[in-house]
Amino acid sequence: MNLYRIQAVISKEWREIVRDRLFLSLAFVVPAMLMLLFGFGLSLDVENIPFAIVDRDGTQLSRDYASRYTSSRYFDFQGYSQDEALLSEKLSTNELRAYIVIPEDFEKNLLAGKPASVQSILDGTFPARATTSKGYITAINTAYSSELLASYLSRTRGVSTAEATAALSPVSVSVRYLYNQSLLSTWSIAPKLIMVILMVSPPFLTALGVVREKERGSIYNIYASTVSRGEFLIGKITPYVLMSVVNSIILWLLATFLFGAPFKGDFLFFLLATAIYVMCTTGIGLVISVLVETQVAAMVVTAIATVVPAALYSGVLVPIPSLSGQAQVIAHALPAMYYTNILTGTFLKGIGLADLWQDVLILTIYAAGLFLVGYGLFSKRPRS
Amino acid sequence: MASDDDKSEATESGSLAVSARGFSKHYGKQTAVNRVDLDIRKGEIYGLIGPDGSGKSSFMKAVAGVLSFEEGTLQVFDTVVDSEASAELIKQRIGFMPQGLGLNMYPDLSVEENIDFFARLRLVPDQSLTERKSRLLAMTRLEAFRDRPMKNLSGGMKQKLGLVCTLIHEPELIILDEPTTGVDPVSRRDFWSILARLLREQGITALVSTAYMDEATRFQRAALMYQGKVLAEGEPDVIGNLAQGTMITIDVEDQTKALALLSEQFEQIEAVGSRLRVWVDEPDEAAAEIQLRNALGGFVVHHVECDTPGLEDVFVAKLRQEGHVVAELPAFEAGTSSASGVAIEAHELSKCFDDFTAVDKISFTVPQGEIFGLLGANGAGKTTAIKMLTGIQLPTSGEGQVAGANMSTAAQLIKQRIGYMSQAFSLYLDLSVSENIKLFAGVYGLDPSMRRERSPWIIELAGLQGYEKDLAGSLPMGLRQRLALGCALVHKPQILFLDEPTSGVDPLGRRRFWEILFNLARVQNVTILVTTHYMSEAEHCDHLALMYAGKVVADDTPDNMKSAVTAEAGGLLEVSVDNPINAVGVLEESDYKGAALFGRKIHLWAPDDESSRNRIQSLLAEAGIAVLGIRSRSLSMEDVFVYRVLQQEKAREQSAA
Repeated sequence: MNLYRIQAVISKEWREIVRDRLFLSLAFVVPAMLMLLFGFGLSLDVENIPFAIVDRDGTQLSRDYASRYTSSRYFDFQGYSQDEALLSEKLSTNELRAYIVIPEDFEKNLLAGKPASVQSILDGTFPARATTSKGYITAINTAYSSELLASYLSRTRGVSTAEATAALSPVSVSVRYLYNQSLLSTWSIAPKLIMVILMVSPPFLTALGVVREKERGSIYNIYASTVSRGEFLIGKITPYVLMSVVNSIILWLLATFLFGAPFKGDFLFFLLATAIYVMCTTGIGLVISVLVETQVAAMVVTAIATVVPAALYSGVLVPIPSLSGQAQVIAHALPAMYYTNILTGTFLKGIGLADLWQDVLILTIYAAGLFLVGYGLFSKRPRS
Repeated sequence: MASDDDKSEATESGSLAVSARGFSKHYGKQTAVNRVDLDIRKGEIYGLIGPDGSGKSSFMKAVAGVLSFEEGTLQVFDTVVDSEASAELIKQRIGFMPQGLGLNMYPDLSVEENIDFFARLRLVPDQSLTERKSRLLAMTRLEAFRDRPMKNLSGGMKQKLGLVCTLIHEPELIILDEPTTGVDPVSRRDFWSILARLLREQGITALVSTAYMDEATRFQRAALMYQGKVLAEGEPDVIGNLAQGTMITIDVEDQTKALALLSEQFEQIEAVGSRLRVWVDEPDEAAAEIQLRNALGGFVVHHVECDTPGLEDVFVAKLRQEGHVVAELPAFEAGTSSASGVAIEAHELSKCFDDFTAVDKISFTVPQGEIFGLLGANGAGKTTAIKMLTGIQLPTSGEGQVAGANMSTAAQLIKQRIGYMSQAFSLYLDLSVSENIKLFAGVYGLDPSMRRERSPWIIELAGLQGYEKDLAGSLPMGLRQRLALGCALVHKPQILFLDEPTSGVDPLGRRRFWEILFNLARVQNVTILVTTHYMSEAEHCDHLALMYAGKVVADDTPDNMKSAVTAEAGGLLEVSVDNPINAVGVLEESDYKGAALFGRKIHLWAPDDESSRNRIQSLLAEAGIAVLGIRSRSLSMEDVFVYRVLQQEKAREQSAA
């Protein structure tokens, strides 16, 4: 290893990056842009569901029942209707996501002590949203039922409403959400976006940078000179690692200040862990660039190798323990999951190296492994 | 005995820079280099000559240690190169410049930054770097451009920068892969003279490849390669003996008929301007001339000139003798365009881009049926001129008539009457041969019956019988080029514009191409305007215009151009000496600035008289160099081109000063 030669490669690469204004601006603009687009667009909170009610009963009790929905912040009440066909058409054009049908004799049945059934119709195209909507409807319905029951009991048994309510639910659950008290999904999503973007952007920069030399033919300078494989590869990827670390700081600023995600951990630890993660993903780009010959191929392979794992096997959308058996194995084999642990740890939980050392260690091993693979595959005397 | 053998072995290998035995390189099933044996001695400039795809690059890359190979042994200096580790051992002693104009450098970096990068990679100490950099930049005259980004250099300057970068760590062996391809003749000469000076001053060894056969004389020894094999090896003269014969140039009445008659007996014959060049399989000049005169019978011969054949002629003769048959050309309909008189007339045409004048008031006239050559260095304005004449670009000022229509107002009409073929051959590489023809027929609005008539003619013209279903991209360059020509001719244009139509095509292909052009012009009366980098091709034209910095600086027939230069500069003398590398330095430093090394001989401009002979003799005698002979040489078009361009450059420098 000769530092002087590594430095020569770094300074040449850095100058090329700086002079190529398009490349330079894309390198910094694209990650920030992705953060903004996804941050504003990818909220998993389900609120303001467009909602309508068919009230066939039209009694005081049915109005009372309906008001439980119309006053909820989860539902955006669009109005009463008698025309169920019209509503189902609105469902198909996405003007409505759900409606409920209150049957005739709703009040009569309830007052007679008979059960009444309310029908709810939901748009099931996006299961997560449908499930959440169903949860809201069930919760509102349950609350209303137990209220009715409590008032019935207090009337018939002569106890107070409070006593009746307590008797009806002997076990009550009180929930306190730790780390994300108000359960805002941007809090948890913004940090995870840092993971996704840093998974995708460094490999792109690196793969394009190395393959560009191959495509142009300037790689022969490297082949024909005395610079060693290791020196070249280290020199080549260092600028991209540094650029990506700068990017990670920009992304961190966006996550905390723009999206208001709390950061409870140690910033220096975060930066160190991020640098290791960035080396890891840069290593992915390095391996790809050694294997392919053209910039187009480099882009396609990088996209496939990074975007899919970052989205599916990292715990962004689905928690890792909820993945199927095989998917869990894949998730554990990829670096994204470990960095996600570090991110949620530093942002929301405020824990540091003492608790996250395993994740950091795995990422370090991963980065070293990728670099060794790239080193092994790179030849200064290829077959063609 | 045994010890004697060992000793001679040792001295032998000690004097060799490169030694290859049974060297083969395969790419998949394709064989690029096929069992080649080569020795390159220390201190010599060794050439690999051959058309594209003959295996030159693969061999050079292997020598540079940047490509593995499958069979044979390769020794570079004392190291047997057989693995990545052993290849590393030789790299400090080697400089390698891969093929492609400036492609191995970094376009966004400045001249100086490029050099610094190469130097730092090789751990050149700062002090030596500063010293070498200023010396090499001065030698290549790039000193003034230190801070210019490499992408803004001209082709010739890029190539020189490449050379500087290759030399910055003072290698013992430099390997240059086609350093002169795509570079204009002036820059090419410049490049060779710099290389000769380096060899002289630093005693390095050079392995250089070229696709220009006429550059063979630049090497001390060379190998002629074709299809992965070495056809001949040794000093240029030795390679020249590959096929025995005489090249005869005749000026004869009724060129076309004479050509037809002679073609029956002599296979290797071509029309050059108004003359015919014939290869006669008879090394004795007198006997060869008699053979030719007998064959001509009753034709009146105005002038006969016998010559030792050039390497390109020898190469073609050798391939012909080995049985490479060329298919017959199809019949050309006589005089389809009855138009006579002026085909192209340019009057003070100019084209400006912002504050840059690409074409500056050019005027010339081309009669119908003439082959008109437009010569000039890269960036002289040739392509812009063609674009204006074909109606692709509007002129800033001036006017022109093309095929009887005004180029400013009737561009559409002109496009219907002309054919155009560009450097890139304008074919759709993922369409088949017949699909390409169909497409061009459709673009020009040919009706189906016309199309059925033209398709077979184009196939025959290009020699593509049996290839109709093949993709255009899979064809070798020569065939692809002729297909492009056929497509440009699909609508029977009166005028054909060809923009560097022969770059990258091997000598056989180029010969065939010019044969077609000759028939088009002479039989079919088509006017042809062509630009080229190959000066040997310029000799085929009836009339030439030489462009420099957007202006036409000479406009005449090739013969008249040559006699004008001879009248101005005296003739061209060829000096044979015992130490040519030093002698050229001595001559350059005295009044003979243009002295250039051609193999073991030196070419310089001087009147052919006693006084100049005596002066050369005494100059060299002072330096202790023996003169073996001085003789006058007839000028080539390249000599004319270089002379005129240098003259312009000098005038420009003076006016700038």
